Amino acid sequence: MELAPPDPAILARRDRIVAALKHILPDGVVADREGLAAYDGDALTAYRQAALAVVLPKTKEQVSALLRFAAEENVPIVPRGAGTSLSGGALPRGDAVLLGLGRMNRIVEIDYENRCVVAEPGVTNLAITRAVEAKGFYYAPDPSSQIACTVGGNVAENSGGIHCLKYGITTHNLMGVELALPGGERVTLGGKAFAPGGFDLLGVVAGSEGLLGVVVEATLRLMPKPPLTRTLLAAFRSVADTGQCVADIIAAGIVPAAMEFMDRRCIDAVEAYCAPGYPRDATSILIIETDGVAAEAEDAARRIAQIARAAGAYDVREAGNEAERERFWAGRKAAFPAMGRLAPDMLCMDGTIPRHALPQVLADIDRMSAKYDLAVANVFHAGDGNLHPLIVFDMMKPGELARAEAFGAEILELCVKVGGVLSGEHGIGVEKRDLMPAMFGETDLAQQQRLKCAIDTKRLFNPGKVFPTLSACVEQGHMHVHQGRVPYPNLPRM
Amino acid sequence: MGTIAVASEDDLIAAVCAARGDGRKLEIVGAGTKRRYGRPLDTSDVLDLSGLSGISSYEPEELVLTARAGTPLAEIEAALAGKQQRLGFDPADWGPLFGVPANAGTIAGALATDTSGSARIRYGAARDHLIGFRAVNGFGEAYKGGGRVVKNVTGFDLPKLMCGAMGTLGALSEVTLRLVPRAPQSVTFAVKDIVPELGLTLLRRIWATALEPTGLAYIPACASDGFADLGDIGAGAALIRIDGAREALREKRAALRAMLHGEDAIDGEDGDVLFAQIGAGAAFAGRPVDIWRIAVPPSESVATAHALAGTQWYADWAGGLFWLELSDSDQGAATRLRHIAARANGAATLLRASAATRTAIPVFPPEPQARAALTRAVKAAFDPQGLFNPGRMYEGV
Repeated sequence: MELAPPDPAILARRDRIVAALKHILPDGVVADREGLAAYDGDALTAYRQAALAVVLPKTKEQVSALLRFAAEENVPIVPRGAGTSLSGGALPRGDAVLLGLGRMNRIVEIDYENRCVVAEPGVTNLAITRAVEAKGFYYAPDPSSQIACTVGGNVAENSGGIHCLKYGITTHNLMGVELALPGGERVTLGGKAFAPGGFDLLGVVAGSEGLLGVVVEATLRLMPKPPLTRTLLAAFRSVADTGQCVADIIAAGIVPAAMEFMDRRCIDAVEAYCAPGYPRDATSILIIETDGVAAEAEDAARRIAQIARAAGAYDVREAGNEAERERFWAGRKAAFPAMGRLAPDMLCMDGTIPRHALPQVLADIDRMSAKYDLAVANVFHAGDGNLHPLIVFDMMKPGELARAEAFGAEILELCVKVGGVLSGEHGIGVEKRDLMPAMFGETDLAQQQRLKCAIDTKRLFNPGKVFPTLSACVEQGHMHVHQGRVPYPNLPRM
Repeated sequence: MGTIAVASEDDLIAAVCAARGDGRKLEIVGAGTKRRYGRPLDTSDVLDLSGLSGISSYEPEELVLTARAGTPLAEIEAALAGKQQRLGFDPADWGPLFGVPANAGTIAGALATDTSGSARIRYGAARDHLIGFRAVNGFGEAYKGGGRVVKNVTGFDLPKLMCGAMGTLGALSEVTLRLVPRAPQSVTFAVKDIVPELGLTLLRRIWATALEPTGLAYIPACASDGFADLGDIGAGAALIRIDGAREALREKRAALRAMLHGEDAIDGEDGDVLFAQIGAGAAFAGRPVDIWRIAVPPSESVATAHALAGTQWYADWAGGLFWLELSDSDQGAATRLRHIAARANGAATLLRASAATRTAIPVFPPEPQARAALTRAVKAAFDPQGLFNPGRMYEGV
């Protein structure tokens, strides 16, 4: 993809803009080349670009002052949390100020009576659970980058995770935000009451990818920790049987806390990488977790084991203790780095499909793999049909990158064709922007853009993200990894 | 002039385009059960969506259902019951509050007015269950928002915005909902002769456990007339509904008993009837009074109950929602209620009153200036000419 060329009129004013920013924020402006390099992209590593300047406010008042200045001077703004976006949501622009929220990292209030936490946007996802777990609570959305990713980024991307099958994604666990609007004015949306009234703008802000404003404070719902968790591993000799098992479990009225799928190629990769002890002769496995009061978690686990055997599982194991449970999960969480060792480069897709289409889509992906002559491994959130096919290739071989990207685009188009969507949890960003017309018609996109323009009248917030440009260059949804070097290599990837 | 009945999305587009061309305004109606909710409209034409009816697709194994906007809620609930599934937002039947027969409402009506009932504390509100829709906007264009799968972050989450918008952003033609499995059994406990301070505090304690209650309500003595089936409740009754399979329910009952001191168990079905009445404001429905709802953070429930002394009220949602009646909502009474709500960081909505009262007093919580500007901008993005339900939420919206 060609990144949009920076606006020369803004570049020409760069010195004056930087000086003004330093006046607003004496200790929080980065404008030197080395400093900007540290902020030149996010976890969509194929794209790198230095910002005009980086600003690092510490207070919401500073955010407002910066946005007021940006509006007066017509300077675009790109908000950034920890920069873990897989879709390029925080990719800087040469003509835009990158607004880093990492220094606003205080937990403002823990309110057990109302089962919520009020946090600044730069607090990490995991820090919320860490702050409340001693009292038996946790924050449910658990994106695999949760050690690094931030609350503000989670709201902007509407992040998911392994346990969203039962507990929902960010939007279902978000009670309120204080939002700094374009121009700097701040509004409160939602709050600690269940039904605050008015249009549900909170619901639109969740997942708006920084196009509507900047979250300067978020109120998050806490969940009581379930008394018991059971973890099962079921091994199959046919991918179709595995898909059937997933459908049968949901149809039986069971909503597991998590249900994860790995295919043979992925199993082999993680066995070579960290030896979690998965059945080596399986075509595919499911890792399924149930939770609740003891009888509920146990009963669901028992029924799931029966359903799995009836669907053709030849080996169904239950983790006997916490160590075994962690081993079950270790392989799943290592899938990404393990695959990264098999080939120099890799693309990670993120479509969602109706669960019943799993066997057909997996078979079609296999056929595409032969057609494009590229290996693919399947690992995904089976319970909600959120696929993460990993396409392995070698960028140094002529034509392989183009083939891999065409393969990825065909997978996402298939997802939409069977009734699914382009992105289940990574967001659109710049990565899948030009594929939006595969899912939405012109009228659909126009209505979304009207909403954007109503709130961001000057179109200064995160320009170039989510919506296709007029000069639509066809791009594919992918996360790019070169030479096994993933962004944030220490983070588990789902 | 008059009623425009539509039977297809094409009809709907034609009706909206015609109104747009003539500068006419439209009142959107499904079964017409909640026409008296919201600010009175000054419209000449009724856009009747009740003919846009029928379940388009129901995939139980996907926990997803798509239905045309005017599909009766009762038809959807019957289809779901056959597969041991339900609508997670537990829509309450507000029809009888407005003097129309029970069980008459449509699915789009329930979503547009957000009639989320008692199980909202467990499964979320209407907005948490609408995952996709088709609608016609104020430009006369049919468009779609969201999708048909539960996990979706592709583009703006417009389905959220449609819920509770009172039809002011457009006319829904089709909705896609995620569903939840129906628990095999449920049971309701009534702890009687418990004063509001203790009863409301008890609800909040139970809400903080992992028992996943699907109903937590408190009925004070002053409202006991409205719940005659409960018998003598003394100083008041705390009602707790839990569900699950047999063994799980047994375990939850034991855990709950350890927190309570003397309670009556009410059979599951009777408990469901009771909670349906609570969600429907049935205690006040037949009386010549105005009805308000005040949503507050549950921590403020006891203080709110004190502030409402002398008023007929009861509480749902773990003390997060107060239903109350006023014999006449004059300016002074409305100001007092909104002050009580504001002090608790909550919001007061006038659910039922005469047209004159709904003209004189804001029905929905008044918004601060910056927020009100945002509301108007959003309205204009969907319906710039103000074709749909003009002024139903706020003046000009």
